[in-house]
Amino acid sequence: MNGEDELELAQRALTHLRGDQAQATVTRERSLFARFARSSATQATAIDDASVEMLCVVDGHTGAAATNQVDDEGLADAARLARVAATAAARGGPGAYPGLPQPARTDPHHGYDRATAALDAATAGSALAAAFERCREAKLEAFGIWTAGEVTTAIASSNGIAIADAVTDAHMTVIARAHDGRSGYATSTAVAAAAIDAHSLAAIAAARVTSIAPATLEPGEYTVVLDHAAVGTLLDFLGSLAFNGLAHTELRGALCGSIGARVAAPCISLADSTGVAGTLPRSFDAEGVPKRPLALIDGGIARAVVYDIRTAALAGTRSTGHALTPGGSPDGPEPINLVLAGGDAATLEELCAPIERGLFVTRLWYVNPVEPRRALLTGMTRDGTFLIEDGAIGRPLHDVRFTDSALRILDATEQLTAAQRLVGETDQYGRRFATGVLCPALRAGAFRVSGGSA
Amino acid sequence: MPPARGHWASACEIDPFALPLEERLELLLKAEELLRGDPRIVRGVAESLAIRTVTAFASSDGAAFTQERTECGGGISAYAAADGESQLRSYPSGHGGSVALAGHEHLIALDLPSHAPRVVEEALALLSAAPCPAGRTTLVLGDEQLALQIHESIGHALELDRILLGEASYAGTSWVSHGDVGTLRCGSPKLAISADATLPGGLGSFAWDDEGVAAQRTVLIEDGVLRATLSDRQSAAAIGTTSSGAARADGFARQPIVRMTNVSLEPGDGGTLDELIAEVSNGVYMETNRSWSIDDRRLHFQFGTEIGREIRDGKLGRLLRNPTYAGLTPRFWNSLEAVASAPAWRLWGLLNCGKGEPGQYAHVSHGTPPARFSDVEVGVAR
Repeated sequence: MNGEDELELAQRALTHLRGDQAQATVTRERSLFARFARSSATQATAIDDASVEMLCVVDGHTGAAATNQVDDEGLADAARLARVAATAAARGGPGAYPGLPQPARTDPHHGYDRATAALDAATAGSALAAAFERCREAKLEAFGIWTAGEVTTAIASSNGIAIADAVTDAHMTVIARAHDGRSGYATSTAVAAAAIDAHSLAAIAAARVTSIAPATLEPGEYTVVLDHAAVGTLLDFLGSLAFNGLAHTELRGALCGSIGARVAAPCISLADSTGVAGTLPRSFDAEGVPKRPLALIDGGIARAVVYDIRTAALAGTRSTGHALTPGGSPDGPEPINLVLAGGDAATLEELCAPIERGLFVTRLWYVNPVEPRRALLTGMTRDGTFLIEDGAIGRPLHDVRFTDSALRILDATEQLTAAQRLVGETDQYGRRFATGVLCPALRAGAFRVSGGSA
Repeated sequence: MPPARGHWASACEIDPFALPLEERLELLLKAEELLRGDPRIVRGVAESLAIRTVTAFASSDGAAFTQERTECGGGISAYAAADGESQLRSYPSGHGGSVALAGHEHLIALDLPSHAPRVVEEALALLSAAPCPAGRTTLVLGDEQLALQIHESIGHALELDRILLGEASYAGTSWVSHGDVGTLRCGSPKLAISADATLPGGLGSFAWDDEGVAAQRTVLIEDGVLRATLSDRQSAAAIGTTSSGAARADGFARQPIVRMTNVSLEPGDGGTLDELIAEVSNGVYMETNRSWSIDDRRLHFQFGTEIGREIRDGKLGRLLRNPTYAGLTPRFWNSLEAVASAPAWRLWGLLNCGKGEPGQYAHVSHGTPPARFSDVEVGVAR
């Protein structure tokens, strides 16, 4: 970067699109990854890379080009490609992109930790050592990842936007595994690496591994307790299926015709909010629109979906600050800071107490939509599935497949824990873009098991 | 083996990067225009992509080579919505269309505009089609859906790093053990699977993998019996064998890990798709993937396709919407009754094969003809 900061680079990049309606976005990732398997470190990766995305708007069409060749030759080439793309698209007639946004006030946030940004590999080493030691004590092997990163995003636009935002994130997953394949799981995501307690994670994961042989659960409908990780996965999918303003406008979304109507139990209040402690906040979206709190489901009533500039214009409203890429993703906007309000249960045990026979799920795996319009999902349980009998977690179960609607599960929700946890991921399709759902665990009276691995 | 040296470039008849963008867009605009017209079509998509990747590799073993790969392809999709129902229909496949290790000639050959009217017609018809019935029945799978079935339940399951628990932290493990090689019956005698990094047009083709191991063809399953796994140098060494040349990284900032190359089902003697269907008195035909899920051991899967059709007395019948099927990998492949013959074999590319942390997305291809399976659970979501 030659002493040039990210915003200065974005402004220099923008000069290559002078005279155009244009935006230059700089994203710089610095990160460390330490993977481990069988209680040994297996892969260590350090990344330091800056890329520039040039966006040009011509007659309602956007053209984009990206490069990590940040000298003037590379930037000029990317600018030319973006202009050519937008101009070529415009030959097909006027497009629907209404124009880049105007500058607006962005709020400071709690999403940056200087110590984490130092990316000290010794922190990773200590975390792995703690996890290995705790699993060794339990006669188990440790598998997982520790990672920390700093991502700086800067946007400069022909409308005068000149903003930068730096965030940090840290994440650790521990899977404790016995030689016969029984496994337990724990994960933690936070703004600061210091908040990741590797020893505790390994202890939680190890405690989910029992010596009892797993039983098989027949397909059917069960009362379920979903631990935080499982709830986070369901809500993450709901984000794209129900709250995507493009799908909603095109009558493909799961909340079409339901805004203002009851879609979940009264105990369900879901928002997209970066101001709440425990989230991974950002100041603005990929179009430079400020992030603001937005109620999505309030007391079980659907209140809103999210928009970027393009989809807001289609819907006749304003962007809610949820663009995922400069100019908006072709697949539409999504909420990336979901917060599900907690309830009144003090513990997981309290959630299980009313259940005569049901299911406890630690996490869900390989979830995908089956019928998007109904938010119908399928996926497997993994790393700790248990039978609940007579109000308590009992025998382990072979993993089961569920096929059910995320909205139906929320509608059947009876109680939530007071404590929320951040269920997060650090990268999306190869780029570091930490997102997370802050959510409690919950008990739902209906959860459809459609098969299993036994 | 001598160190790898030299240069290799994939075949590219028409260089997409030498064409004016307008020329490439013209084809898409024409196809997209043909998707419009009916107000129930709420979204029409015509898309293409062209990727050129140039890599240079040098190692302390003495290897020094460069490779240039050009990938090209595309597809069309129509989203229909009405009366609380939403349906998707695509050509030639879902998830971005058909992509091959080829030049612009591959996109031209797909002839997207000529398929647009049928895509629209089927998307609209699906809105009011009967739901896929639930139960166990004979299932005939189109080749594109079968490509993903091979990918998920065989390809990933035979990655040696997974088998040795190296990916247990994220992608998972496998229902296969490395000690099973040579003895494990994975499927019926009709099942023959190879991994071939030399296949023309395959997204998993190259001259050398990302550890400098030469591209090769490996028989993975023969007559239904496991013969080999996919490996890199590290995993192969761990079990005292040599790499199958399957180490791949998706960029300069990622480590090579065991990935599929072109993992394919060999053609059988079942004739054409029509001949596969002609043998079925009562069953379901499904094509074009829409939904996929499989457990972390690659054992229990569930797939959904864009479209299904009833099969009655050897003929395709009424349209079925939201078709799904599920099963356990070895049981499913043991129910393989018939594989269509060589003329029906096609290569399908996938761009979004995720694995590793930080995330890596491999481009792989799978060759397969349509095939028929007995006693499969369908209509899972009902």
